[in-house]
Amino acid sequence: MRRGSIIQLVLIGLVAGAIGTAVALLVPWLPTAAGKEADRIHFVYWFTTAIAIAVFSVVTAVLGYSILKFRAAPDDFEDGPPIHGHTTLEIVWTAIPAVLVTAISIVSAVVLAENGKAGPDPLLVKVTAQQFAWSFTYPNGRTYGSLTLEKGRSAKLDITSNDVIHSFWVPELSQKQDAVPGQHNTIVVTPTRTGTFPVICTELCGLGHAIMRSHVDILSQADYAKWVSQGGTASGPPGLAVFQQNGCGGCHTFTPAQASGKVGPDLDKLKQEAAKANRGSLDRFVQESIVNPSAYLEPGYPDAMPKIFGQQIPKAQLAQLVQYLVQGAR
Amino acid sequence: MTQVAHAPAHAHEAPRPPRGLRRLTAPGFLRVAWVMPLFFGIGLGLVVLVRWAAGWHPLLKSTPLLTVELVTVPLGFLVGIGGFDYWAYYASGRATRPEDHSGHGARSWRDYFRVNTDHKVIGIQYVVTTIFFFMVGGLLAMLFRAELAQPGDQFFNPQTFNVLVSNHAALMIFLFVIPAFAGLGNYVIPLMLGAADMAFPRLNALSFWLLPIAGVILLAGMVTPGGGPSAGWTCYAPLCSHQPLGQVFFNMGVQWAGASSIMTALNFLVTIITMRAPGMTFWRMPLLVWANFTTSLLVVIATPFIAGSQFFVMFDRVLHTNFFEPAGGGYVLGYQHIFWFYSHPAVYIMMLPGFGIISEVIAVMSRKPVFGYRLMALSLMAILVLGFSVWAHHMFVAGMAGWLRVPMMVTSMVIAVPTGIKIFSWLATMWEGRLHFTTPMLFALGFLSMFVIGGLSGIYLASVPIDIHASDTYFIVAHIHYVLFGGSVFTIFAGIYYWFPKMTGRMYDERLGKLHFWLTFVGFNLTFFPMHYLGLQGMPRRVADYAHRFADINLFVSIASFGLGASTLVFLYNMASSWAHGPAAEANPWRALTLEWQVSSPPPIFNFDEIPQVVGHPYEYGVPGARHAIFGATHPEPVGAD
Repeated sequence: MRRGSIIQLVLIGLVAGAIGTAVALLVPWLPTAAGKEADRIHFVYWFTTAIAIAVFSVVTAVLGYSILKFRAAPDDFEDGPPIHGHTTLEIVWTAIPAVLVTAISIVSAVVLAENGKAGPDPLLVKVTAQQFAWSFTYPNGRTYGSLTLEKGRSAKLDITSNDVIHSFWVPELSQKQDAVPGQHNTIVVTPTRTGTFPVICTELCGLGHAIMRSHVDILSQADYAKWVSQGGTASGPPGLAVFQQNGCGGCHTFTPAQASGKVGPDLDKLKQEAAKANRGSLDRFVQESIVNPSAYLEPGYPDAMPKIFGQQIPKAQLAQLVQYLVQGAR
Repeated sequence: MTQVAHAPAHAHEAPRPPRGLRRLTAPGFLRVAWVMPLFFGIGLGLVVLVRWAAGWHPLLKSTPLLTVELVTVPLGFLVGIGGFDYWAYYASGRATRPEDHSGHGARSWRDYFRVNTDHKVIGIQYVVTTIFFFMVGGLLAMLFRAELAQPGDQFFNPQTFNVLVSNHAALMIFLFVIPAFAGLGNYVIPLMLGAADMAFPRLNALSFWLLPIAGVILLAGMVTPGGGPSAGWTCYAPLCSHQPLGQVFFNMGVQWAGASSIMTALNFLVTIITMRAPGMTFWRMPLLVWANFTTSLLVVIATPFIAGSQFFVMFDRVLHTNFFEPAGGGYVLGYQHIFWFYSHPAVYIMMLPGFGIISEVIAVMSRKPVFGYRLMALSLMAILVLGFSVWAHHMFVAGMAGWLRVPMMVTSMVIAVPTGIKIFSWLATMWEGRLHFTTPMLFALGFLSMFVIGGLSGIYLASVPIDIHASDTYFIVAHIHYVLFGGSVFTIFAGIYYWFPKMTGRMYDERLGKLHFWLTFVGFNLTFFPMHYLGLQGMPRRVADYAHRFADINLFVSIASFGLGASTLVFLYNMASSWAHGPAAEANPWRALTLEWQVSSPPPIFNFDEIPQVVGHPYEYGVPGARHAIFGATHPEPVGAD
């Protein structure tokens, strides 16, 4: 090759590399990390990105140069030089990618191992997914509809599901784990900054998949201690706690609980609906609809409500929930 | 082995049309009209009989009835249209009709709606059918992109949305990409090998007719009362076994498409192994044939696994078995292992034939031999072998055995090496060539650049930690579209434009072809590139609703996707008008060396009036006096005398 063409080739490669780098750096691709594990995952991401930009530049340089330089005129019926191969070149472009992917693999394996290790005295939280809500149970036996973590202290999340497969993800914490019925999967998260972040279900789980959301509050050490001593945010009527723990708001709208789910019938209109259904007193109708949801289906809604609540909710709590719904209904 | 082409001694005229009552018993749609209801009755009778004998009530129940009918009614269709005639005559001891080749060639458009044993007719049947389902699948995508243009509920409820997403993927994979390659391969492979037809022409016809059946079943599922299949194309248990009735359509539709795929692959394998022209050694085969050889091996080995996964999940539902039901001691993740043991190789089933097409197009349009021909063939084989050792990279967050993650990451990374070899060899093929930027070449270059991006995002996803963050988000959606649209669909377009003159005997409009390319290329990138960002930032896939902060980008993506959809209209118009009134094509408009271009466009009814004698490699551009094959050799040299 002539020297001039090498310079042109390198120039195209540099331009491609500069564009690639600009796209990588100027767009905020990743959410701001809020955990140690996320920091490590972001490192693997940037390590891979550097290699990707290099590969992209080389390919673009060769492709761009060829398109510019080797264009044939429409009336050109000549053939190119009959080059069949070049053994050294072929060995080189087998070996270099092999080295690069080995490097990425090693970095990834190390980070994966590190991300499985919890710090001292980890907080153990049981995460239960069901259509279409999350519940979080703490070592003291209390259950909440959202997750509360302490900054700087690792948490081991023991994740399972009551029905189909769901997946637990907090983008800022990067860690993700499927919730599989009949199986307990563990992940570790170590928060590094306070704030409130979304908990998202990422595995298609049915009608309410898109709104199967909760949130995680990451509190400073002092705030977390206060939260624990107050026993969490359990203010309001006892039925509200039952409503939240069982994720009713994932599917139903109910103004007193600030729930706005749209998969199932609107519980604000409970009285109207009970009158239409005509299945005994309001109390009886509400209880029947929770324990045996298929008994009466509001027109226009599928038979989609899980049939597990009869067993899942203890009798006393069920009574609280029914009372809460009946009182709040308009 | 030597395969002699049929001597074209007898005339191949259309069979005389049957008259009177014979019209009802002769193969065709009239016979379908009464055999299909008959088979519906048989299915109904079977269900009632079994339930009555077992003492189950009610005697008629929708799920078992539907399951059985989705076997018997399509069988009735195949019997009616004549897919089994020859074998039925043979098996029942009646005289088989002597092969008069009346099922060869197409004389009018009506012949494309009959059981035809000519690989050239079947190839066109395949391509046209798959383009139809490509349009339907694309339309579904535009419907749910309309829903996603804004957060909140606009046009569809979540059930309908899930149906649209599930069927978009199912149609594009099972009824477009996989069979479109089967169609192009069907047309081209026997020609490239110097054979008169495929090894099993009747099986070939049958495998085509399974395809519209699968398509109709999937489409019918969408309008089932109670809701269509909505568990995604992956149909994960146990969600999939607890879906409305329409889900059975998905489970069964996949079986018909899979059966079609397996039959075609067997046919390709036997054809490639036994029907090569004299002198056509394996190392003289065009890379498209190599690509379909490896693909067919993948199909034959892997496809039974998806059949198994769909049967098991359906048994859980219909027969109340507990393969994947945790309450009954089933193994939930077992479904994913079996499913991905097919569906990862399926990614290569959807990619390797495209690699073959690109090798043909780039060599011919660059006027240079394929760089490193043997390594190109060997890297296909390497991808084939490695492709079976990476399935669990789809399950890094699924909760499978922890030790399995790092080995699966390493094998997934290693696949980048043979894939890289192919990319670099194509670039080296173009180097110092004389590039002709025809439409197929533009699509080949579009493929090359887009596939590099898809391959690089694949490296991110192969890395377990990054995959943990990006899994099940729009980053995945972006990645698979860069691989399956920027990859597979671009190669299918390249192949269709490249062989259009051979298939139809007419030239397409080059200016419209280029317009189609640029609209597709720009529309594609505007639609799918922003999805990388959406996913990494926290938008999960398969959601009908999303956070407000993603609203602007989603609106942009939706508008771009409508543009991308509209670009297909240019393609359709070009194909339809050129097929009808395009200028007549020469035998070899691209000045290619491979055998399909050494016969007329379209080729004679049995492909070669004279048996070609293969004497050299298929890509000897620039080598003075080099020939791939000669016609009229007095003593054809047998295969193996390289």
